[in-house]
Amino acid sequence: MSVTEPVEVPAELRTEIERHMALYPDSRSAALPALKAAQRVHGWCSPEALEQVAAVMGVTPAYLESVASFYDMLETEPVGKHSVYVCTNISCSLRGADELFAAIKDAAGSDTEFNVRPFECLGACDIAPMASVDGVYVGPLSIDDVPRLLDDLRADRPVLPEKQLSKRACADAEANA
Amino acid sequence: MKLLFKNIDEPGLATREVYEQRGGYASLRKALAMEPEAVLAELEASGLRGRGGAGFAMGKKVSFLPKGSIDKYLVCNADESEPGTFKDRELMQKSPHMLIEGIVIASYAAGANRSFIYIRGEYVQQADLLDAALAEARDAGYIGENILGSGHSLSLVVHRGAGAYICGEETGLLDSLEGKRGNPRLKPPFPANQGLYQGPTLINNVETLATVPTIIDMGGAQYAELGTETSKGTKLVSVSGHVQRPGNYEIELGIPSREIVYGLAGGPPEGRQVKCWFPGGSSSPVLIKDDLDLPYDFDSMAKAGSMLGSGAIIVVDDSTPILDVALKVAKFYRHESCGKCTPCREGTNWTVKMLERVQTGEATPMDLEIMASVQEHIIGNCLCVLGDAMAMPIGSLIAKFRGEFEAHIEQARAASGLTVGTPAPALAGGLV
Amino acid sequence: MPRPTPRTITFTIDGREVQAPENSMLVDAAKHGDVEIPVFCYEPKLGNPVGACRMCLVEIEGIPKLQTGCSTPVKDGMVVNTQSPRVKTAQQAVVEFLLINHPLDCPVCDKGGECPLQDITFGWGSGISRFVEPKRHFVKPLALSEKVAIDRERCILCYRCVRFSQEISEDYQLVLLERGAHSYVATFDGRPYEAPFSGNIVELCPVGALTSRGYRFRARPWDVEDSGTICTLCPSQCNVKLTVRDERVMRVLARDNPEVDDGWLCDRGRFAYPKLAEDRVTEPMIRDGGELRAVSWERALDEAATLLARAGARTGALAGGGASNEEGLALHHLIRETLGSQNLDSRVAGTLPLELHRALAEPALQAKVPDLEFAHAVLVLDCDPIADAPILDLRLRKGVRRHGMKLVPATREQLLDEGKRRELIEQLRAAGPAADGSGLEVVVLWHERLGAGPDGERAVRALLDLAATLELASTEGAGLLEVPAHANGRGLREAGVLPNAGPGLSDVDEDGLDATGIASAFAQGELSCLYLLGVDPPANAAGAIVAHAAFLTDALREQADIVFPAEAYPEKEGTVTHPDGTVQRVRRAVRHLGEIRDESQLLGELSERVAARVGLAVSA
Repeated sequence: MSVTEPVEVPAELRTEIERHMALYPDSRSAALPALKAAQRVHGWCSPEALEQVAAVMGVTPAYLESVASFYDMLETEPVGKHSVYVCTNISCSLRGADELFAAIKDAAGSDTEFNVRPFECLGACDIAPMASVDGVYVGPLSIDDVPRLLDDLRADRPVLPEKQLSKRACADAEANA
Repeated sequence: MKLLFKNIDEPGLATREVYEQRGGYASLRKALAMEPEAVLAELEASGLRGRGGAGFAMGKKVSFLPKGSIDKYLVCNADESEPGTFKDRELMQKSPHMLIEGIVIASYAAGANRSFIYIRGEYVQQADLLDAALAEARDAGYIGENILGSGHSLSLVVHRGAGAYICGEETGLLDSLEGKRGNPRLKPPFPANQGLYQGPTLINNVETLATVPTIIDMGGAQYAELGTETSKGTKLVSVSGHVQRPGNYEIELGIPSREIVYGLAGGPPEGRQVKCWFPGGSSSPVLIKDDLDLPYDFDSMAKAGSMLGSGAIIVVDDSTPILDVALKVAKFYRHESCGKCTPCREGTNWTVKMLERVQTGEATPMDLEIMASVQEHIIGNCLCVLGDAMAMPIGSLIAKFRGEFEAHIEQARAASGLTVGTPAPALAGGLV
Repeated sequence: MPRPTPRTITFTIDGREVQAPENSMLVDAAKHGDVEIPVFCYEPKLGNPVGACRMCLVEIEGIPKLQTGCSTPVKDGMVVNTQSPRVKTAQQAVVEFLLINHPLDCPVCDKGGECPLQDITFGWGSGISRFVEPKRHFVKPLALSEKVAIDRERCILCYRCVRFSQEISEDYQLVLLERGAHSYVATFDGRPYEAPFSGNIVELCPVGALTSRGYRFRARPWDVEDSGTICTLCPSQCNVKLTVRDERVMRVLARDNPEVDDGWLCDRGRFAYPKLAEDRVTEPMIRDGGELRAVSWERALDEAATLLARAGARTGALAGGGASNEEGLALHHLIRETLGSQNLDSRVAGTLPLELHRALAEPALQAKVPDLEFAHAVLVLDCDPIADAPILDLRLRKGVRRHGMKLVPATREQLLDEGKRRELIEQLRAAGPAADGSGLEVVVLWHERLGAGPDGERAVRALLDLAATLELASTEGAGLLEVPAHANGRGLREAGVLPNAGPGLSDVDEDGLDATGIASAFAQGELSCLYLLGVDPPANAAGAIVAHAAFLTDALREQADIVFPAEAYPEKEGTVTHPDGTVQRVRRAVRHLGEIRDESQLLGELSERVAARVGLAVSA
């Protein structure tokens, strides 16, 4: 094992990682929650973030970089703080997702607050085309919704409240009969 | 007949209070009063087949776990990532206790004392709801030591993924849950013998486990009366794409596919026709309009050369070029290939590049031959099923829509101004 | 713990019945019938197969899908086909897939001519590719470390190197980044891959993606010859294969001996070869006017013989380094039999009573290297394997990882304190199959330094007590394994380079001075001449020093009176004794530099010259 310099870890981050480690028979299982926690603190899985997680978990930073780079939601480059994942997989694209993504990307322009990404199927084809905005599913979206979506985000308001998936009833008419 | 979706939008159903008011956790009490073997017998009698995609008999899967007092694990596969599939999402969001109850009962039958829900990282709200429900269940003594005085103990952790389709493959899921890259493992050993942390592990899909309380409630034999001889019970079907009412529907297995696509989901928009449809997520070989008369069940779909898979019907109408469909599908699997085995890693990449050439007019009909042969070289030769998951639908698209591909090649070639013998610009350089 | 003892079974491969060990993987079993199943990712040294490259697909009767031969254990009556059209198509497909991103720059690739991808493409590929798209591109080649270059375009993502880093050396520095077709081998934040065993990845790489920076563009396989010998840079005594071109060592490779090194080398052993040929002493030298000057062999031998004859029994001798058994015997002959001095030693910290040497050498008490892997527990006593005998570090890791061996590190203090010793014994017993300690196999890996200093003798007695308590002598697979301070420490001792024992630990008439005694006697002028074989002189020298040296160290430059040029191990012929007692053959791979002579012959000649003088003196 290589000898590394002692790494300073923010106390809250250390506590959160340790809490996750305690949940599993093998503490290594906490890699994903730990990396997500570090990403929240640092904005992305930067080398510094990886070294901090490594120091708490007792694994190498290389191991964590390997893990982080495998998963779409872990960022290995600096990104904007608001994530806008636009589903561009088949069901959404059949309903205009590619145009929607282009419109959001275009509207966000060079604003570094936003991390607008095309994403694989987000599991919400019933509200296609849709996006996950900081983890909140909204849809079906039209190009007309784009300015308000970004404005809501800029203003820290709930995004497109009436289009949030959580408000939607089951499509099966007999389900609630 | 609604079993899973009955009054699914009842306000507060996600809370224990409401769930219990309508009889929730009664199945758990009933099960804990039985011997684990008797619970297992009910599951076997129900004929319930896994709802995640492979359709393996759930009871049999439980019975594969070794007996005895060793550490055994139950893992709920909530990494719902197959394009077109969103049924587990609705279940977890609206009735999380149903899933938890199913997990506790299944763990009792399997003799497992540690359980995990591996939920895809994108389902943030659903994971939060599960965590809240889990806390309530723990407070009520449904999870923890000596559950309801039965002597059975179970811990449950909601583990959130971070965005990788391959983690829906059960061994990739296990590696991911162990904190690694989600690379599928070589089988054998099978998870029932050596799974999570090398221990015997039962892995089931959300819908499968959520069905367990119903089976205990109504009895395995009665559940088995629903559906067809080999596809018993009800199934949640996610219908999406070119239909007027996309969404989840609970159906009895064996009803005509047309009834789902047209009757429930409303069919394609006015004036359009179904061109093709994926009966079980984007990894199932496509079927055509005429196949809509087939009964929607495991065997009928298999007989038609496709599969029921996760129960996700994606409808493509006649306004869509088939090449667009093929490219979307191929690009998805290229993006999601873990890279561990050669045919999948290279085959998905190659297929995308060939399709892109078709699109830009740099292909010839001979490329279709090569593309078809590449799919054949992938199928059956990979470490896990992801390679096949691209090769089967792509192979079916080429086989069923060859004429359209050829016409596209001709048109795109003419439009690009390239003639035979002109070096194609994309081949001269550039990276992917 | 029980070791695999496979029974032989009969299976059918390509229509012929073949016998092979049961449960061996099909790719290995096939070799028993002279059938080769091509592989890339399969390498049994790396542990369980991963089935990733899919090159070894074969058809097995009764199984619908093709199976990977690397991960399918052979069973009695199995019927395997490696030649059917279906198998051939699959093999050709995998080769085609692997080549779509491979640059085919074989003419300028170091691996060309010894490349598994090249060989398998010729043997199992279709000969054509239908891939016309652009290939993957990376910046290349890049330095992965000071020693290894990486060319990611050539990489076929077989996972071997990362498995080595993660599962063998367990340094976890080399990893795969990204996924799918974008995957590539890398280190954290692009930092250099620095680890004690990093060079093994070059040998594991089945293509030219990982190359040795020292060997790059130096030779082609058809320019070189291989020569097997033993690396004597440390007591591990790994079996090596030297790549030789024009009498120069161009590269050091492993020679896979599971009894010794398990097919691995440490970086020092692998990469020290250029240094072994630089700045060498190549001629005999004599101090003349305060400086060492090159002289003829005749003069050097003559003056050395005169010096030694004059010193007679007041000569002391110290041996170490890579000195061979033959040199040890010749030194014993020169010092003890010719000069009548008992003052010779090969133990850095001095000797132990002869009864202890004999007790430690008791055949029943000897552990072998593979025992480290299969023991229930290994007590690592006063020993730091990574520094003392690096390759054993990998063996210990393998034992822990694959066989659940329990590793118990301990210091001399723990051994000497009765309470702590009892705790150690408890810890060791807890690893055994039964609570009462029966059936327990323990190996004690200890370093020569345990016996050093005032407490040394007591510590070795405590070690023997511990061995008796744990019944190591009567337990199969258990025992002691001493790591000596010098590469051939055990061999030199058994050759009679001890102050209180002759060859084979035989009795001597009287005990001489040990290494510490020799040093102080020499400083005080009680010894007038010191003969050094492969070791540096002690700090305070009052008399004459005759030394064999491959390199002129500062100490030698200042103190030595006569220096004989010594052989580096690639030039040496002879035998050495492994710490576990196995005698290994050192073979000359390159000819002597300059005027270097065979050192054991040189010692013999010196004995003759001294004898002639001593004889003259006696008769006069």
